[in-house]
Amino acid sequence: MNKPAVEAERSEILTEVGKLIIPFIQVFAIYVILNGHLSPGGGFAGGTILGASMILHRLIFGWDNLISRLTYDRVMKWMCASLLIYGALKGYSFLTGGMHLEVWDVPLGTPGKLLSGGFILPLNIAVGIIVSITVYVFFKLFYEGTI
Amino acid sequence: MKGPYDMGHLIANYYETGAIILFGVGFVTLLAHGNLIKKIIGMNIMDTAVFLFFIAKGYISGNEAPIIRSAKPASGYVNPVPTALMLTGIVIAVSITAFALSLTIRVYEKYGTVDLNEIIKMGGE
Amino acid sequence: MRKVFSVVLALALIVILLFGVADLPTFGNAENPSNNEVSYRYLEEGVEETGAVNVVAGIILDYRAFDTFGEATVLFTALITVIAVLRRDEDE
Repeated sequence: MNKPAVEAERSEILTEVGKLIIPFIQVFAIYVILNGHLSPGGGFAGGTILGASMILHRLIFGWDNLISRLTYDRVMKWMCASLLIYGALKGYSFLTGGMHLEVWDVPLGTPGKLLSGGFILPLNIAVGIIVSITVYVFFKLFYEGTI
Repeated sequence: MKGPYDMGHLIANYYETGAIILFGVGFVTLLAHGNLIKKIIGMNIMDTAVFLFFIAKGYISGNEAPIIRSAKPASGYVNPVPTALMLTGIVIAVSITAFALSLTIRVYEKYGTVDLNEIIKMGGE
Repeated sequence: MRKVFSVVLALALIVILLFGVADLPTFGNAENPSNNEVSYRYLEEGVEETGAVNVVAGIILDYRAFDTFGEATVLFTALITVIAVLRRDEDE
């Protein structure tokens, strides 16, 4: 475990403001991801906002708090699982449509509601997780020099 | 000035002209400085200029954004295809910048400087 | 000397490209060749076939979802490459 190059000092203003604001940023990011098919936004923009909130949490609260929750193994497992889920969902509809098989397809629903559009909602969530983890790990590597 | 080329047309297409001037600015930044970080910044500026040029080709004046709420004919919306194509490009530009910066860190640890001329003078070790 | 040469080279390239911009169709015209039947098909039948009100989200996640899969793979590969370059061994 290496120490970061610049040690953060404990400042009360930053700690108290951080405790209030970071939940709001994360709720807004989840809203942008889930409403990707109804309004502008989608997986990429929501994932960047979620990654920015994780960077802010790591900058304010030092490195003792996040060492136990966002370790290297857990983060890589989430990322690999998201990529495989995207591939499986996309491959299922791609291959059954291309070979003209008559298997079960996701119902489309009425446009305008939250649970509509077939596979668009799970794919948005997978892309959001991938982008947020990428942005956070880039910052962590360049700030501390190692995972 | 008229002739085979119409130069007043450049002012009417100010998005494309601005994008190409930005491309030139990034190109000069890439070539003229010796610092490695400034070269990477120049490459990022060239990427942004290409995105601006491409997305500006999809605009139709007087129409609105392609989010369909009421029943309008298809000629009342902006072209959605260039925007969808450039989303992938933006992500790839971020990946290339991150990779180039990580290689710069390794070069700095080995040679002690980020100036390209001095690295060449130190020789290939 | 090198800086003057590079600025002259860049200026020559930009002047040649600006001659090309002078031949482009007018900005924002509805009769441009880039607004062909592909965008009409996506706009008219996008809501029925995909069920998404946002047409751009329907394009990148339903009609052309393979390109988004390739781009997610590029993000994953860049992440693994940066970890492999910057990782330090624990034995020193």
